[in-house]
Amino acid sequence: MQAMLLSLVLAGPAATPPDVQALLRRLDDLYRSKSSIARIEILATNPRATRSLRLKAWTRGEEQVLVVIEAPPREVGTATLRVGENLWNYLPRIARTIRVPPSMMLGSWMGTDFTNDDLVKESSLRKDFTTRVDRRSESPPGWWLALEVKPEVVGRWARIEILVSDGDLPVEERHFDRKGRLARTMRFDEVKLLGGRRVPSHIVLTPADTEGQKTEMRYLEVQFDVPISDDTFSLSRLEQNR
Amino acid sequence: MAWVAARYAIRSVGRNARRTALSVAGIGIGCALALFMESLNRGRDELFARMGALSGAGHLRVVPADWRERRDPRLRLADWQGDLAAARTLPGVTAITARARAQVLLAMGNHVVPVEMVGVDPENEPRTYRFVRKVQRGRYLRPAEKGAVVVGQAVAERLRAELDDEILATAVGKGGRIESAMFRMVGIVSTGSEEIDASICQTSLEDLGRLSGLDGAGEVTVILDNWRAAAATQALLAPRLAAGDQVLTWSELSPEFAGHMEQDKAASRFISGVVLLIVLLGVASAQLAAVLERRREFAVLAALGMSAGRMVWVLLQEALALGLAGGLLGLALGLPLVWRVARHGLDFSRYMGSSFAFQGVIMEPIIYGDFGIWMVPYVLLVAFGATVIASLYPAFFAARTDPAVALRVAQ
Amino acid sequence: MVGTSTLRIAWRNLWRNGRRTALAVSAIGLSVTLVLAYDGILRAYGDWILATLTGPMLGHVQAHAPVWRQDRAVDRTLGHASRTVETLRRDPEVASASARVYAPALAALAEEGFAVLVVGVDEAAEARPLRLLAGVSKPLGDRRVLMGRPLAELMGVREGDQIALVGQGADGSLANDLFTVAALLETPVDLVNRQGVIMDLAEAQTLFALSDEAHEVVIHARDPARVKALAARLAALPELAGAEVLDWQALAPEMLSMVELLRVAGIFVLVLVFLAAAAGVANTMLMSTFERTHELGMLLALGVKPARIARIILAESIALGLSGALLGAALGIGLVALTHQTGIDYAALTGGGPSAISFGGLRWSLVLHPTLAAADVVRAVAAVVVTAILAALWPALRAARLQPARALRE
Repeated sequence: MQAMLLSLVLAGPAATPPDVQALLRRLDDLYRSKSSIARIEILATNPRATRSLRLKAWTRGEEQVLVVIEAPPREVGTATLRVGENLWNYLPRIARTIRVPPSMMLGSWMGTDFTNDDLVKESSLRKDFTTRVDRRSESPPGWWLALEVKPEVVGRWARIEILVSDGDLPVEERHFDRKGRLARTMRFDEVKLLGGRRVPSHIVLTPADTEGQKTEMRYLEVQFDVPISDDTFSLSRLEQNR
Repeated sequence: MAWVAARYAIRSVGRNARRTALSVAGIGIGCALALFMESLNRGRDELFARMGALSGAGHLRVVPADWRERRDPRLRLADWQGDLAAARTLPGVTAITARARAQVLLAMGNHVVPVEMVGVDPENEPRTYRFVRKVQRGRYLRPAEKGAVVVGQAVAERLRAELDDEILATAVGKGGRIESAMFRMVGIVSTGSEEIDASICQTSLEDLGRLSGLDGAGEVTVILDNWRAAAATQALLAPRLAAGDQVLTWSELSPEFAGHMEQDKAASRFISGVVLLIVLLGVASAQLAAVLERRREFAVLAALGMSAGRMVWVLLQEALALGLAGGLLGLALGLPLVWRVARHGLDFSRYMGSSFAFQGVIMEPIIYGDFGIWMVPYVLLVAFGATVIASLYPAFFAARTDPAVALRVAQ
Repeated sequence: MVGTSTLRIAWRNLWRNGRRTALAVSAIGLSVTLVLAYDGILRAYGDWILATLTGPMLGHVQAHAPVWRQDRAVDRTLGHASRTVETLRRDPEVASASARVYAPALAALAEEGFAVLVVGVDEAAEARPLRLLAGVSKPLGDRRVLMGRPLAELMGVREGDQIALVGQGADGSLANDLFTVAALLETPVDLVNRQGVIMDLAEAQTLFALSDEAHEVVIHARDPARVKALAARLAALPELAGAEVLDWQALAPEMLSMVELLRVAGIFVLVLVFLAAAAGVANTMLMSTFERTHELGMLLALGVKPARIARIILAESIALGLSGALLGAALGIGLVALTHQTGIDYAALTGGGPSAISFGGLRWSLVLHPTLAAADVVRAVAAVVVTAILAALWPALRAARLQPARALRE
């Protein structure tokens, strides 16, 4: 009897399968907000070199993004502004603002393994996938969810497996391409209080079939749903080095 | 005396039948060869034009107003369906098709490939773009099919994708919105050239419109029966197009090809010149040899009182008669050969190295000779030219013969 | 069969009617000269086509990092490029070697960015005739670049303007700098004209964070006919270990198709040219011999055996053919040797026009340098002699069966 009580206590919070729909809504909205100001550190590793960046990003809705590089010193002040269909780069070294033609807007973001796809985040786990709880994980403690893409959905992933911790936060995401092959893995850790939310602040993206390549993103500071003035997303501000 | 001269000419031709026959045969064969050469030469021009046209350029292409300056794949025709209809009214058309282009990113899992995606009309496209005539794996697009794409092998390899795989295509659409759509790979094309393979990515016109947010076609391509009619047909089509749209000939579209052709034309002219010269030489020398033997004959005529001018006239008439007969023989010999080569073409694939193994996808090594009304004047000109030139020296020489001297020499 | 006395008689016979013989010999000689001239030009043309197609961009052999051709990633490079190029240049079969860097970038005159391809080249190597920068006099380096004319027109750039170039370095860093457009280019390569910004190799390497690396090493061979073997041999060099080394035929099979077809078509025409010449020779021979019926009748009446007469005719024919052929060959060789040095201005020969043609915008020099191989000459002479023999058969036979009385009457 005592042993049973002990085991109950030691087992921690009840291991009941989560409410999938609620969980997915939470995952979708984890980093989403109407506007945000964030300071982010990015580490892009490939067999050749490791590149580290620190940047400050302002976003409003899905159409307005301003990113300014704060480190390394060589690239300080380099900025990217997106407003609707226009994308500009500001290059402090040569003091020029250049508009990026639409054809070059696709592809990898800032030379990392993230693409525009990932950042625009129009996809929704809740809406695009049929989800079920797959199995329990003991270490780390959590639940594995299996998501199958619904037919007619436009996206790269046929299947996603997400390990969600008992605290309802993502720990690991595995993305499988349309042929069912593991394409990449995302790991989430270093849970912090950022902008009033408890979120993993460190994300590591590892492509499956390339050696020695990964991209790490770390949120240093975030403010969610903070009012941002219109003229933040303007060319003049771009050049002024706010 | 003129009548006598003519009768003499005729009779002298008949008198030495063998000599005449030999002359006519010589001229005939020479002319036939020259004709065949020229036909092949013109056929080479056609080969270049065909190569260029069927590699996508077409003989004529209708493009939007700014296209020559901007070459932006996002440009669209003012009224593509109207232009298409106008093109259909043209004479001498083999095939017409419409296309639209967009810069697209294809993705399969982690692998991404930027490519220019072309929206086509599946029924007419293979007739104007040779590289999609043979789909190596799978099949080509079907009319009214949605969400299908055909890519070159290099594209499929870079995507690590195979037949029937679902691929994500992303494009920057109207207003900068990033649009995506899923496509199924129904066919893979292999031309043997990696560069060409890496550039092939085709879907239906409608699908491309949905993806790019830009409706309609950016170009209408026309393939003609006779490539030489390009400029004339261009003039016919231009006024019938929608305002702003313009029509270009293939040489305006790909100046490199036009350059190639120009230089090859120069080569052809040289070759024709050489062959002509040889034919002329052969005929002329044979004629000369024949005529020189007739010194006694001329001496006798001179002794009989025929004037130098008359003798020249006789020789000239003989030359013309021979030329006519030889030219007609040349036509008779040459026409069937030229016609056959014009119809079926001369297939060089047997003679080309084993490394040329792309089954005619990139280029068919077949030269179609040219067959036209030009042949008759050409042959006759060669024949007459040869015989008249040949008769000049002996005519001059015969007119100056001293009958006494000539008759005395035992030749 | 044909003894020396027969030959002597034949020879004397020929020159008894000097004018006729001289005429025949000249005619045959000229035909042979023309055939050889055509042959010489055909070779020159073949060489020229090859040089035109492979000269500017392709070269004869190219070396790349293994996957570079597929994804053109800036960081897929060949290492120790300068050492590799040095070693290649010392190779006896290599005429020239140089390295190139290719990097996609954004170019802007004012605010509008345009997608371009930056090509870093070794100017000294690429400024040779028929190469990419042939005829370009403006030096690179010191942040000067060359731009394709169509691209410049698209961007509104003029000579002397300053443009910004932005791209991604091999280490992922942002490559950006300002450059002056020293000149506008029209190269034979359409891609370069439409999208190319040409820069000094070392500067390109610096801009895109490449140390002694390159994306492509271009090699021109001394003997273009042996490129496959050369490529195989060079692939085994330690400096190129692990690299993909291909000859131009493997790299651009569509070019190969064209070259092959032109070559075969050229030979086909050569055969026709030979036929035309042979027909002419035969005709001449036949005509000459048939016209001598009277003379032959005389000989027969004098008691010369018919078989002997046949042999004499044959010998005459061979002698005539051979003299003509040798004369023509001498003339032909002389002509080719002469023009080989100075070159023939092709366009002028064929009816005027500029001495160069527009090919993708560049002025191409259309000066050909004819060459002949010994085999060509032997072939031409042999063909004439064979034709002469064949042409003499009929008249020889006929002469042998002549009835003297009838012949004398002609």
